[in-house]
Parts: sequence; C-alpha cells; structure tokens
Amino acid sequence: MTSMDSTPAPSGLDEALSNPFRADHQRPSRASRFDATIDRLSERLNPILVKEARQALKSRQFVITFSLLLACGWAWSLVGIALASPGIYFAPGGTFMLIGYYFVLAAPVLVVVPFSAFRSLAAEREDGTFELLSITSLGSRQIVTGKLGSAILQMVVYYSALAPCIGFTYLLRGIDIFTIAFVLFYTFVTSVMLAALGLVVATVTRSRQWQVVLSVLLLIGLLVVTVAWSITAVNIIFSGNSMPYQTLDFWTSNLAVVTFCISFVVLFVLVAAAMISFASDNRSTKLRVVMMVQQVLWTGWMTYCWMRTEADEMLVVFMVFPGIYWYLMGALMVGENAQLSPRVKRSLPQSFLGRMLLTWFNPGSGTGYSFAVANMASLFLVVAVLGMLAEAAALAGAPDNFGWLLFGLLATCYVVIYLGIARLIVLGIRQFAYVGMFVPFLIGLFVSLLGCATPAFLQAWWFGYSELEYSPFQASNWMWTLAEAANDDLLSTPAVPLVVGASAALVYGLNLLFAIYEVEYVRQETPQRVIEDEHDRVGAPSSEKSASGEDHHLSREP
Amino acid sequence: MNDVRPMIMLQRLHRFFDNTRAVDDVSFEVMRGEVFGYIGPNGAGKTTSMRILATLDLPTYGDALVDGFSVINDPDRVRRRLGFMPDAFGTYPNVNCREYLDFFARAYGLRGRERSDALKHVMGFTKLDGLAEKPIRGLSKGMKQRLCLGRSMIHDPSVLILDEPAAGLDPRARIELRQMIRELADHGKTILVSSHILTELAEMCDRVGIIEQGQLLAVGAVEEIQRGHAVLSEVEIRVLENVARLRQWLADRGDIENLVVDGELVRFSHAGDRREQAALLREMVLADFSIAAFGCHVKSLEDVFMHVTQGFVQ
Repeated sequence: MTSMDSTPAPSGLDEALSNPFRADHQRPSRASRFDATIDRLSERLNPILVKEARQALKSRQFVITFSLLLACGWAWSLVGIALASPGIYFAPGGTFMLIGYYFVLAAPVLVVVPFSAFRSLAAEREDGTFELLSITSLGSRQIVTGKLGSAILQMVVYYSALAPCIGFTYLLRGIDIFTIAFVLFYTFVTSVMLAALGLVVATVTRSRQWQVVLSVLLLIGLLVVTVAWSITAVNIIFSGNSMPYQTLDFWTSNLAVVTFCISFVVLFVLVAAAMISFASDNRSTKLRVVMMVQQVLWTGWMTYCWMRTEADEMLVVFMVFPGIYWYLMGALMVGENAQLSPRVKRSLPQSFLGRMLLTWFNPGSGTGYSFAVANMASLFLVVAVLGMLAEAAALAGAPDNFGWLLFGLLATCYVVIYLGIARLIVLGIRQFAYVGMFVPFLIGLFVSLLGCATPAFLQAWWFGYSELEYSPFQASNWMWTLAEAANDDLLSTPAVPLVVGASAALVYGLNLLFAIYEVEYVRQETPQRVIEDEHDRVGAPSSEKSASGEDHHLSREP
Repeated sequence: MNDVRPMIMLQRLHRFFDNTRAVDDVSFEVMRGEVFGYIGPNGAGKTTSMRILATLDLPTYGDALVDGFSVINDPDRVRRRLGFMPDAFGTYPNVNCREYLDFFARAYGLRGRERSDALKHVMGFTKLDGLAEKPIRGLSKGMKQRLCLGRSMIHDPSVLILDEPAAGLDPRARIELRQMIRELADHGKTILVSSHILTELAEMCDRVGIIEQGQLLAVGAVEEIQRGHAVLSEVEIRVLENVARLRQWLADRGDIENLVVDGELVRFSHAGDRREQAALLREMVLADFSIAAFGCHVKSLEDVFMHVTQGFVQ
C-alpha cells in the first residue's frame, strides 16, 4: 500500500468530484450561448470533420491557399478587365473572365484539396496519431468520411470565396448560368473524386519512403487530371451557349455520369476504410455490394443508351468496360485471404438460400473469383437476352449477326481463364510464402499480358512479321481474338471459341475445387458475454450509461 | 458476476515477428481495481502485449480478454472499456489541450453534458485546467504525459493500460502520476502499467509480472514474488558485548551463511522468512546477547528483477 492510504493528499480527482460544475453558476453571455448552440450542433457532425475544420482554420496551408485564391481572384478581375477594355463596355466578356476564374479555382480545388486529403490521412499514420484514433469508438469509415468531409468543406470555402467573381462573369454576358453551373459542378465532382482517391492512396502503405513515392505519383496524377479536365472545361465554356440543355439525353447522360461518380466515391471511401480497419474485420462484403451496385448501374444505363441510340455496336461496348472492370477487381479479390475471423463468422448467412446467394460476398480468394466471374457471366446473359429479344422482335438497334454474342462469350471466358490462372498461381505461392493483395493484382496483369504477347511473338518469330495474321494459334491472345470477334471475323474459325470455352470450363472447375473450403464456413455462435453486453446497451437508458457501458461516470457526480 | 470476472486476461498470448518471439505464451489475469505492474527489460515484450490488449495489434496465437471481450473478435467493445496511454504518441498541429481532449471525447461518442462533464473532470484530475488553451506542441514532456493520461480516461474506461507513463518525468511529476494512478485504482479502475522505475511500481502495484524475452517469468504480489525468489536475506546485527561468543553461536546454526564480524557489527545471510528472523532474534536475546540493533534487508523489487531476469535481449 502507498502512503496515500494514511495521508490522502488533495487531488485533482477529488477537486473535480467536489465541484465539477463551478462554471455553470455564472450567467452565460449571449456570445457564450451562441457558442454553446454551435457546439451542440457540431455534435451532429463527424468528430474528425470538427477537428479538421478547427485545425484547418489555424493551419498555414489553408491561410496561404485562401489568401492566394483571393489575391489571384482580385488580380484576375483587374487584369482581365484591363485586357478586355474598352470592349468590355459593349461586347460580352463573361467567357473570357470565367476562364481566368476557373483556373484560379481549379488549382486549389483540383490539386491542393485532394493532396491535403491524402496528406491528412497519411500524416495520421506517419505521426502516430492514427493509432490513438483507431482505438476510439470511431469506425474506419467514419474516419475516412470525416477526412473527405473536411476536404469538401475546404472546397466549399474556396467556392464561396470566388462566388462573387463568378457571379460577376454572368453579369458581363457571353456565358449562360447553366454553363457556369455545369463547369463548377463537374469541377466539384472531380475534386471530390480526387480527394476520395487521395484517401485511398494514403492507406496503401505505412512506409514513409513509399509514402513519399506515392505522394509524388499522386501529385503528378492530380496535375494530369487537372490539365485534362481544364481543357474540357475551357471547351465547355467556349461552347457554352451550344450545350443541349433542352434535350432529355443531355440530362440523362449527366445523371448517368453523376451516379457513376457517386458510386466510385463510395467505393473509394469504402476501400480506404477497409484498408485502415482492424485486421479481424470483414473488409470485403461492403466493397462487393458496391461493385454489384455499379454493375446494376452500368447495366441499366447501357440498356437505356442502347435503346436510345439504336446502335448494335453498343452491345459490344456493353461488354468491354465490365470485362476490364471485373478483371481488375477480380485480380484484387483473388488476393484476399480466405481465413475468416470468428467475428466475421458470427454474421455468415445460415439458410440454404442465404448461403447460396450471399456466400460470394464473404472475404476470400475463391469467393472473390466466383463473384467476379458470376457478375461477368450475368452481364453477358443480360446482353445476350437483350440482343436476342431485339432480334426476335426486329427492333431498331437489333444486331444483324452473332459477332457481338461471340464477343461477349469470349470476353467472359477470358476473364474466367486469366483470373483463374492468376488465382491458382497465388494459391501455389501462398503454400511457401506470404503474399499480400498487390502481388496477386500484378500477377493477374502479367498473366493476361503474357497470354497476349506470347502467341503473337512466337507466330511472328516462326512466320515473320509480314505473315502475322490471325490464326487459331492466337486463341490465348484475348486482345486480338476479341477484336476479331467484334469485327465478325471469328465466325470462320470456330476452333478458337471451342478452345477458349473448354479452357474456361477447365480453369473454372479447378478453381471451384480449391474454393470448396471457403463455402464450408458456417455461422459461429455469438459469445454469451457479447449478448449480455448488447442487452445491457439496448436495455439501459443512455443517460445512465458511460461510454464504457458501465455506471462509472456516476462517480463523477458531486 | 462482474466482480469475479478478471478485467484483463491474457490467455496463452503469442506474438511472433518473423523469427522473433516478442510475446511467447504469456498468461495472467488482473482483477477489477487492481494495479498490475508489468516489468521487463527493453525488448521484453511489454509494449507488444499492451498493444495487443489495446487492439492495436493481433496475437499470432492465443487471445486477450478485456472485461470478458476478446481483443480479436470484439475490439469495438474492448475499446469502449479501455483507455490506452502509449509510451510515445503523436499530437496534432494547431490544436490546443481543450480541443484535443474535446476531439477524443467526441470520438468516443460523448455528447452534450456528458462530454462537457468529462472534459471538466479530466482537466481537473490531470491539473490541465490552466493549460486548456495552450497548443499541445508547446507543452513540456510532463504536461504531454498528463494530457495523454487525460485522453486515455476521457471516456471513463474501466481498464487503463499505461505504457511507461513515468518515462521522462521529473520526480515531482512522477510522484503526482503515482498518486493519480492509485486514485484511479481506488475508484475501481483496473490498471496495467509498465515502468522501468521499479521502486515506484513496487509502491503503487498490487501485483507485478516480470517478463523477459517474451516469457512471463514471475507473476504475483510483490511480497509473494520476493518470497518465491528469496534465496537468502541479508541480516545485520549490532551487538554490544560477547561478539566472539555470538559469532560461534551463529556459526553453529545451520541456517546461517556468509558470516562476517566487523567490530560490533555482525552480518550474515539467513535462509528464513520474517517469522523465522523474529524467532532468531528472540533466541539471541534469550541466549543473553546484548542486541542493540537487528536489521534485515528485504529484497527489493529491483533485487527480485535482477535475480529473475538474465538481461537477455532479443
């Protein structure tokens, strides 16, 4: 026992217990009441957002960027008017001025804000603050959305600062309000996407050296996107008055773009959250749900697009992007570890139907492979049914041959084959060494490129470049074979679809064999202690519960 | 039910980093309201096991439970009950003490009056009231330690894990920290604390565990460990006369070793516990020796630590 037992010293705790509300006796002023109201309202916000906003307002980076933005806005107002004078009194000058303001806005919004979002999360991990954050009640998704929210808040501040200038361009005539809104809106959307991507990049590695490399790459990428979007934005501003705002297709195509942008932002946020979540968490299911939503969006919008354009080429386009998408996503998913923690097993589906339909959303390389293949195959079936129905009903846009069908079938088979081979290689390597998620992705890319390059190279070597024509020898060359199929040239060589189809069946069968143990997992009972705790948390009034779920805080009452 | 359940329980905890066995089959329990000292040389595995308990790392094998919840399977429930003070921690730029604590209060889900009360309580307890508006990066080491302790207890956790909380503190700050820890334990908090300052741990801990090379070498109350590892106690006697007779008298006993006579002082090693030492003193008085002083050097925690550990580093 310590000396504390016999001679209790006056302590902070006793003091705090004896008079914890001493400030409450003073009558609060109007300003402090306003402060308290704001403080109460801020409790509805993400704590990270509140903290970052407080930090940002005091940070040198924000002060410099904001000051520069204002200074540049003012400078362009003066310089632009001077350059446009004296014509500005009688000729429309809004377009010219808006381009200048766009560039003033684009630099902070498209480069500084996304890079700050990246640094904000990367710095948490580098400075050791992330660990303290990760053991709070905040979930990894809250952490990421808080960071993204902070980035969006900064964008809003920059937009607000430049709003009078942009309003001024409308008064100068020459540019309509829709075009201004259109450019600003897509600049905002691009910035949000880049910030979300920046957060993903920040979670890729903890190594300081790699963070430096990634930050340079990200900066280059941001500059490239900024230049690309700026060229587009300037073209839009110039052609502003000819934008087809009155047409339905304009709005529906924009709606499609926006829905995809939103889905990708959600995907990026969930990826970043998964990367920083606790190791025993389920990092896959939510991501797969978002991927499936994207598949549904793609199917819906492409069907609409095909029906509107009445072009049978759309059926090929329908399959091209999902083929690339599912291959890349599949290459990442086959790198997943199939070991489910007891925590994840508690929420596994129990019913036969649930197990049949939802097992593919569980983490694991086999389930990931099957998930990618099933999505690709289902898309092919949708395209096949649509095409055949259109053909049967002799609708406009119906295909006039079977090249598109063969393209879809082969594209699906190639995804099955190359993803399957990549997975088998990864399974083999994992018998001897630990393999993360990035290596399987590289293996997937390498295998698919090797499948293209090898037969092309061998054929050129044996027969010479001048004789390099498509032959069944190129069956593994998915690029060339798919191009032949899309051009309806493959129907004359039926051996290729047969070989590819048989190979796909073989690879798929082999992969299913190695995926059996992943579907054998069954739900695990929730421990009694967890059930008790859940009951306590739901049952007891929140005001009587401390954050620890116990009544300790009552001891703070005087 | 709650009172009999250990608040901290390590069950055959293992953590390997390649060929390094940072934690190698460590098991112990800490009951509610107990202060448990975790002692070991640098690289012994203290921080690793504490990080596992704080849900910052996963064990290779085994499990650790906090209030009955597994750190592997229910980290969110563990986090609600646990406050962790790491040996080194980062701080945010452009944030003052109040904002820092307020942020963590919000992050632990405290709202309204509960949050403001928690802030007042923690700032009062850690005596940070006067520094509320001071930027964290301008704080001294001791103040930062206080702030970190405040952060770890902002959500009123029932379990506190303090990794080297006294490192780098001046003597006054260390004494105050020790008092704080004892007070927290008196208020029912369960505390696992590691420190290199063993005398302090001996004073504030109810039980200690000694770890080296990832293995728990001894665990129990300080006195228990002292008894368990007591080879011989050092006894010093001041006798006023008949020194030669006393020397012979002691030499004839079987429980005395290393007998040295230095004038009036007689020093020897005795293989008995305190009760047996008292009996020895009584026998000497009854044998008519003029004993002016009888002192027994009890093995300190440092002695036990040095005796138990080998000084190996992985």
